[in-house]
Order: sequence, then structure tokens, then C-alpha cells
Amino acid sequence: MNWFCFVWTVLFSMVWQCPAAPSTPSPTAPGSTAQDEVECPSNCVLLIYSNRSTSEAQDPLVMTSTELNPDHYEAQRAAHAVRYYLNTLYGTPFRQLSFSKVHQARTEDLGEAGMKYLLEISVKDSLNKSSEKLCSAEVVYPRGETQQPPKVQISCAASLQLNTSAEEEDFYKRYSAADSAVSGKDIPDSYGHVDPEMVPFWKLAGVASTFIMLNESNENTLYNLAQVAKITQLESQNGQLRLEYVVLLHDMISQEIIRWKMLVSWSPAEGVKVSDTQLLPKCHCKPPTP
Amino acid sequence: MKLYLAVFALLVAAQCHKLFIGDQVLRINAESEEQIQLLKELEDDEGWELDFWTYPVSTDLPVDIHVPSASLHAAKSFLHLHNISFTVMINNVQVRNSFIQISILAAHANLVSKVHIGFSYENRPMYVLKFSTGGNKRPAIWIDAGIHAREWVSTASAVWMANKMATDYGVDPSVTSLLGRMDVYLMVVTNPDGYAYTHTSNRMWRKTRSINAGSVCRGVDPNRNWDAGFGGPGASKNPCSDSYHGPSAQSEIEVKNVVDLVKNHGNFKAFISIHSYSQLLMYPYGYSCNNIPDQAELGTVGRSAVQALSSLYGTSYRVGSICRIIYQASGGSIDWSYDIGIKYSFAFELRDTGRYGFLLPANQIIPTASETWLGLKYIMKYVRDNS
Repeated sequence: MNWFCFVWTVLFSMVWQCPAAPSTPSPTAPGSTAQDEVECPSNCVLLIYSNRSTSEAQDPLVMTSTELNPDHYEAQRAAHAVRYYLNTLYGTPFRQLSFSKVHQARTEDLGEAGMKYLLEISVKDSLNKSSEKLCSAEVVYPRGETQQPPKVQISCAASLQLNTSAEEEDFYKRYSAADSAVSGKDIPDSYGHVDPEMVPFWKLAGVASTFIMLNESNENTLYNLAQVAKITQLESQNGQLRLEYVVLLHDMISQEIIRWKMLVSWSPAEGVKVSDTQLLPKCHCKPPTP
Repeated sequence: MKLYLAVFALLVAAQCHKLFIGDQVLRINAESEEQIQLLKELEDDEGWELDFWTYPVSTDLPVDIHVPSASLHAAKSFLHLHNISFTVMINNVQVRNSFIQISILAAHANLVSKVHIGFSYENRPMYVLKFSTGGNKRPAIWIDAGIHAREWVSTASAVWMANKMATDYGVDPSVTSLLGRMDVYLMVVTNPDGYAYTHTSNRMWRKTRSINAGSVCRGVDPNRNWDAGFGGPGASKNPCSDSYHGPSAQSEIEVKNVVDLVKNHGNFKAFISIHSYSQLLMYPYGYSCNNIPDQAELGTVGRSAVQALSSLYGTSYRVGSICRIIYQASGGSIDWSYDIGIKYSFAFELRDTGRYGFLLPANQIIPTASETWLGLKYIMKYVRDNS
């Protein structure tokens, strides 16, 4: 494997706890591939994401008033940060939280401390689809050149706490078996299909991704999980199911598809934990010669 | 017979397969673990661009592989060499969309015709479906879908709506009266090269497939390439970016072909672009957050259209200008159309809001298309009544 690429990849994963959200990728030296590290096919060239440069980011928001239209993008992006936060706390393979609507939104400029968004949102719980909770949330985006995650608080946090379900326990027991070696790729597939057995692993990827998405969020990002590129179950440790994921995140603002590798552990008791996150360079593939 | 051949050519062009003769789906019945292993190795080999519809897991389950024509001989030789038995399941793989297009054109030859507007970068013919009951350059409505390759539900919905429009003519009073006065131009796959690429190589591809001088990265974001605030904020100057605006406005032949048609026609009253995902109905501008003069009217039309859309399944959409609802984005199609005087310029972002995103399941195509059709019909009716 090309040492140059290896060094770059290692540097990226080491230097930034929360790597700068990629703006645009630039190519490495032609012909360099890092097959083992990032699984780029041999006819592909690695692109390394450059740090977000201010010229690429959207023009800074000029707020003439602190009241926001709740349907407009400023409030919507902040609401997604709340969504990520909620899932890092309460998400499981069988439970995901989202929001249906932002009812009210305003900002408070905290100067050096950052920009605060105050939101009234309806929180949806996948376990209880019929009822939505109206919650107040605060998102503070720090100021500065380097990416730092927003700080989120939400009023209804305590009321969202739930006991472990039987479904979760069954799933946990089943895949804790010593010979369990789940693996998969491209979930959902191109046609949006997910094998019923893989659904909880897909949902787990969604929850785990919110750790990364929250870390990478700022006022100019909006992330969704586009697809699970790869999933490999590792040996359980300390009673935790462990899985290595490669996920594709879609950033709505830049329209980029960003690849991340992460190690996910979960048990009903401990909840979802994410570690060893690694931004993977984009593969740019030359079409095969006819 | 000629009609069917012409139709065949259209659907192929519209679905952008490199060759319509030759692609096959092979069904393999592996008989040993060894054969399963061989198939797994085949799966990892990118060179043949094999598309595994079902994966080699066990000898109990068949393995279905879509083989592009270019790799067919090599793939079959490999299978013969290793004594792996297979049957040809599908000869001439066609996307499900294609089948509907054949029937539309064949069954409604008096209403629907195909207009050749030029070629894509990779030389695929570009066709737009023209719905017309006669006249000469009647006031017209433009609808384009699939300008971003990975937004499959946009193209799928357009095919469904084309069929719906054709079959509802003479049955639905609104459609009948619309087509009595106006023409509808519907472009199902506005970025055929990109669309093909999402099938053969990268499901998440967005841009065109043009070669960028001096860069290893291909493609231009076709919705940053229009002559409206071109090169401004919300588009990238980096060829490797998914929102690269291109070297100049209309540098992409796909965009230029549409621009030429619309300008030469000279009588379009509405211009509607269909994308996914986010569930939004938007009007200009993207390149600026300033209000257009017709903001109030387009906002009202948009909200009523969304009301019609939601009436079917309760799907909620947000309405607003592009710049305010999602982001500032320069060089967009409906900004261009609005700035050349086509007042009723709208952009849809279809289902969903991120759960499946670009990978919307097949069972949501018809619900999405049906509800979108109601919204679109509202807009078209309004345009008819106000043009």
C-alpha cells in the first residue's frame, strides 16, 4: 500500500478528534491507491478531503432579527442537530428519534461563545408512532475556524428514557452467540431494499452515525445516512455486541457523500457507543477501458 | 412495426444502457462451498462491473448476476471453466421504467410523441415526451426529471406521471382541458449518462459524466450549470466536488440541449424541475435570498399545490424559495427559467426526508408519483387558467 496515502489516512484519524467536515476533495498523486485501508478498487484514485475553507462555505448568515421562520433552513439544520443528539442518548437498533416539525425558532448571538438556536419541535419516537412530544431545545454552535460539535440541550430528555424492550433483549442474545458473524454490504441496496434480518443492523448504523453527524455539525451542514457500505461483526467484548461499519453520509448542503468507518458497540444495558471513527477518503474511479 | 422500433430506441435512450442488446441476468446454482467462494471472488472483482442481485451465500440459494454485455463472454467463460452451471434468466435487462414507456407511446400515438433534442456527453440521444393535441407551438409546460443521477424516484415518478397523463386524457376533465389548450413537455431522464452510471458503477453519482480538463474527477453538477448567477455562492469551482458548476454556464451539453429547445420554442409558460429528496416545493431564487417580484403568487400556488399533494397520504411538504428553504445555490434551472421570463418556475424535492434518502424503496414509487401528480396537476391547471 502506498505509504503516502497511509500517512495521510493515519494523520487524519489522529490529528482531529472530530475531523474537519470535508468541503471538497482534492486528488492525491495519480496512481496511488490504498487498497487495504480504504477498499478503493484498483481503478480508483484516492481523493483526500481538504479542510473546510471559508470560501467554500455559504455566505455568513445576516440576521436582521432573531426570530426565525421555522420552515427555513437555519431552524431545520439546528433541529437535525437535536435529532442527532437525541439518538446518541436514546437510540437503539429498535428505537430511533426524529422530529416532525419545527414550530418556533429563534437565535441568540452569544458572541465569542457562539450562536444559540432556541427551538420548539415535535419529537417523534419510532416506538410510539401515534404520539409526538412537543419539546424545547437549545443548540449552541461554537465559533472558530476548526470544526467543533454544537452543544445541545432538550427539555423533554428525561421523559424519553425507556426500559429495554423484549425485542432488544432477544436480538442481543441472538447475536451475542459465540459463532455470530454478521456481515453485509450496501444496505439498503440500490432499490431501497433491506433484508428483514438486517433491518436492526441498518437502524443501528443510523443511530451510530448520529455520533459522527453531531460531531461534524455546524450551521452549514445537514447530514443523513445515505447507505451502509459495509458491516462486519467483531467478537463481542465485555458483554457488548461489536460491529465495524463503513457508512456513507450525505451532506445536503455540499451534496457530498462522505465515507466514515466506525466501531460500534451496543448492549441493552449500555446503549450505543461509537469509537475509532475514521474519515475515509473518497474513491474516484476511472471507468474501465472498453 | 416502425413505431415499436422507434419506441424501443427511445426507451433505451431514456434508460441509458450502453447497448440494449447484450446485457443479461444469469442465475447460478452453486453446488459446492468452493463454487460459492469463487463467486465471492467474482463479486470483489470490479473489472467486469457485475451487479449481484442476490449474493453468494449458500448452495441453497440461487445467485442472480446482472452481467453487462461487455463482460458477458468473459463471465460465461469463467463459469464454464469452473463447471458452474447457470441459466440466462433475463435477456436484455431493462429497467422497469422502460416497459411503461413502450406502452405509453404505443397506446397514445395521437397524443404523445418523442422529440429529439440532442445528445448527451457520452452520445446518448436525449428525448423529451411531448403531449399535444395539436396546434403550432401552443403555450407549453416544461417538466424535467432525473437531472441528478442518483435521484431515481424523480425519473420513476416521471414515467408514471407520463402514463397517467396519457391515460387520463379524455377521462379527467382537468387534464383534458389542459391539453386542449397547452402542450406538456416531459423529460424523463435529463442526465442519461449519470443515470446509467448509477446503475453500472456508483449508485450515489449525482453529476454528468463529462471529462474535466486537467482533473481526474469527472462530471459537472447539471443544476449548478445554468446561466443564472452562474459561479456564485452555493456552487463549487472544484471539479471533484458534487456541486461543481463547470467551466462555464451551459458547458454541459445536457443543459444546453434543454436551453436551446426552450428558447427556440419561445412559448413556455411554466418550467418545473423534479428532484429528490426532502419533500419540498420551491420557487426561485436559489442564487439569491432576495424575493422575486412574483413571490406572493408563487408562494400561494405552491402552498395550494402542496395541499393537493398531501390530500392523498398526508405527506408533508415545506414551501419556499430555494435559497431560504434549503440553501443558497447558484446556476440552477428554475432560476434560469424564471429570469428568461417563465414566471411559473418550480422545483420539487420528492420523498422522503432522509430515512431512505436517495434509496427510496420501490413500494413507495407509485404513492410518491400519485401524490406528486396531484400537486403538479394543480400547478398546471393554475398555469392554464392564468396564461
